[in-house]
Amino acid sequence: MNKHISPSGISKPAKRLSQIEPGDLPPLPPPYEDFNNRTLSELKEEKIANIEASLDDTVAIGIPKPKNNEEEEKYLQAFLSGLQKLFEKENNWTFLQPLLLSMEHCAKCQTCSEACPVFEMSGRQEIYRPAFRSEVLRRIYRKYIKPYGKITSKFSGDIDLNWTTISRLAELAYRCTLCRRCASVCPIGVDNALIAHEVRKLFSQEMGIAPRELHEKGTVQHLKIGSTTGMNPMAAKDSIDFIREEMEEITGTKVEVPWDKEGAEILLLHNAGEVLSWPENVGAFAIVFQAAGISWTLSSEELGYDVVNYGLWYDDVQLAKVAVRHAEIAKKLKVKKIIIGECGHAHKALIVIADRVLTGDLNIPRESALVLLDEIVRGGKLKLDPSKNDFPVTLHDPCNIVRAMGIVEPQRRILRKIAPKFREMTPHGVDNYCCGGGSGFAIMSNYNFAEWRTLISSRKKFLQILEAFRDEPLEVPKYVCAPCSNCKGSIRDVLEYYHARERSHIYYGGLVELIVNAMTDIKKAMIKFD
Amino acid sequence: MIVFVIAVILRIYRQFTLPVHLRWELYPVKHEAGKKAAYGGSYMEESNWWERKRKRSWINELRYMIPEILFLRGVWEENRRLWWVSFPFHFGLYMLMGTFLLLLLGAILMRFGIPVSPGKGGINSLIYYLTIIVGVIGMISGSVGTAGLLSRRLTAPELKHYSSFADYFNLVFLFSFCGSALLTWLFHDLSFDGARAHVYGLLTFGGLPRGYILDRSFLGGLTIVLTSLVVAYIPMTHMSHMFMKYFIYHFVRWEDEPNLRGSGLEASILQNLGFRPTWAASHIGADGKKTWGEIASSKPKELK
Repeated sequence: MNKHISPSGISKPAKRLSQIEPGDLPPLPPPYEDFNNRTLSELKEEKIANIEASLDDTVAIGIPKPKNNEEEEKYLQAFLSGLQKLFEKENNWTFLQPLLLSMEHCAKCQTCSEACPVFEMSGRQEIYRPAFRSEVLRRIYRKYIKPYGKITSKFSGDIDLNWTTISRLAELAYRCTLCRRCASVCPIGVDNALIAHEVRKLFSQEMGIAPRELHEKGTVQHLKIGSTTGMNPMAAKDSIDFIREEMEEITGTKVEVPWDKEGAEILLLHNAGEVLSWPENVGAFAIVFQAAGISWTLSSEELGYDVVNYGLWYDDVQLAKVAVRHAEIAKKLKVKKIIIGECGHAHKALIVIADRVLTGDLNIPRESALVLLDEIVRGGKLKLDPSKNDFPVTLHDPCNIVRAMGIVEPQRRILRKIAPKFREMTPHGVDNYCCGGGSGFAIMSNYNFAEWRTLISSRKKFLQILEAFRDEPLEVPKYVCAPCSNCKGSIRDVLEYYHARERSHIYYGGLVELIVNAMTDIKKAMIKFD
Repeated sequence: MIVFVIAVILRIYRQFTLPVHLRWELYPVKHEAGKKAAYGGSYMEESNWWERKRKRSWINELRYMIPEILFLRGVWEENRRLWWVSFPFHFGLYMLMGTFLLLLLGAILMRFGIPVSPGKGGINSLIYYLTIIVGVIGMISGSVGTAGLLSRRLTAPELKHYSSFADYFNLVFLFSFCGSALLTWLFHDLSFDGARAHVYGLLTFGGLPRGYILDRSFLGGLTIVLTSLVVAYIPMTHMSHMFMKYFIYHFVRWEDEPNLRGSGLEASILQNLGFRPTWAASHIGADGKKTWGEIASSKPKELK
């Protein structure tokens, strides 16, 4: 396989443009060497016969192939129309300026490549270089949208536009976790992750092409039913009532979960995935808020019990629709502020990105739960015994909370206070590595995509976790604190895939569970190492 | 020079006329005050941050920007191999810009009848010696840097496969400019008197400094032509990052201004929400008549 593929090579027909061979991936340390020759399971021919699958070993979207030349031409025209719109303020005021600045000033120095965990952990597959997809888009833009492009492209970099080019580009936009490490090291400030984001938007907003998990099962279901999990309001209330009962067993006292309390100070918005997959996180918030005497409420309105906003990853319009609904719910409840639970992308979507969508009385103050928890812990409102957390703990920094929002210290202050064996990963804070599940990857599992994530995009995080606990005996239980639902999802998957619980006794969970576990007046342990 | 000025103004003007975009900052944001700038913290680490006065630190920003601009700290930290050629290139260009300013200063002095010549003390002799020192360093550094960058681009596969004719042309062009200037200095103009006389001519629309005897040379002429072309060419290429980096940092990467009710920012956002998109995907519900604001508040029509 030719490892040095130039950006114009994307349009050349081949069964697979890039493929990972056994031994390509960076090795794992003992006791995980038996995974070192693993590659992805072969895509089943019958499953991919009618979809685009010629980029690499996996498929994220599964775009149907055009049936004839006419349909192919339609695709190409729609693509060019969408590309044009990315550069129009009426259509893309949301990111026009950042996009132009990144499109026009790349020096192609490849400094970004070394910062990208997907590129590094794939064994340096050329197509995963952050600059590769950007350069493809740049060349198409210059040749087919800019005046005299057909002539100038001979000097500035040529590329052919055909079905293979655009369908591979669409897939390639979903091989970047949008962690923005590349942007943070770029000497000029060019943001290749933003370009990947804009490519995703072009396909979604103009052509209606996006991974099913993000669109049909994601934002569309969210807006229609109330949650991307498919839970309707009644199911959400029932589930949380069940969680509440479980929490009463742990605390030995009555736990109140207020619903739709008008005039409460705080509306707490959880990722509904927590309710289904990590109910203890939802319960732990109720315990802490009750113990701290916080005036709070949950909402049982559609969308009010699910703070996710998948639009952040692929579609500005869907993002705006979801954010407006969240704000309308808070406005109706007359709360003073919205607190976002342990969900990284929801932090960024509702606190930072939607900040320039919500105006007037919809612009209700929004804050991170990590900040509130830090205030509660520092305020001495809880009786805490750190020795109850006397096991090695490391902290995963969710990119959306840390690198994209600058919330770095509150979670650390808490851990320093309640986890005596807390240690940092290397690197950490704003230099952290993505969990591998960023930008929707944590919930995408069609075809063999989950395996691609576990083998490649989450590999760096797995290595970081192993390194953080390197000096601990294998048999000692260890805890990866990941204050983000999607990060927890991908960490769960990577630990399961490599049997890390069995081999190294590595467990994972959120931050608030550790706080509850340290509370002196709870009867049972919140964190159990089975 | 006129082309340069117009191109720079147009590029900068466009940045100020683009609509306010969604926030997309990246931490560390260096105008944060105190330790936050160092570890990458933000005002969003504070409870009820919207009730507090925001603190900004120009010192922190300068502490970051000065080594970044002068010494390419980012490249040093993230791509050391490239730094060894990128730094001489950039440093050479800075020195050559400095040389031009010194030549201009010298020409102004001469316009007022103060000769710029070797001697003991005095601003005029300081300018004389500084011009030679800064100019020679600039030409050598620029030549070495451009040659190094060209060699890296030709030999390193990760650069070669991404390079177009324009990328090579830019480096050859800049190398020719630095090399030609260096040869002109070496063979014709060791004291920079000729270069200063040229700048004097530009300043006085064709005048010659008193006592200066015109000594035309092919190399001197070539350097003048190449200098003019380089100055006009840079703002039209990606090399405009030289000054556009300011906007990349201040308008995107560090642009963390919160939208507060009743603010000017909110007014700009309201204006944006009045745009009428034409995105064609059916789930968007855009028809060219509905505004962004109306679409964002609409209920979903379909479940595909």
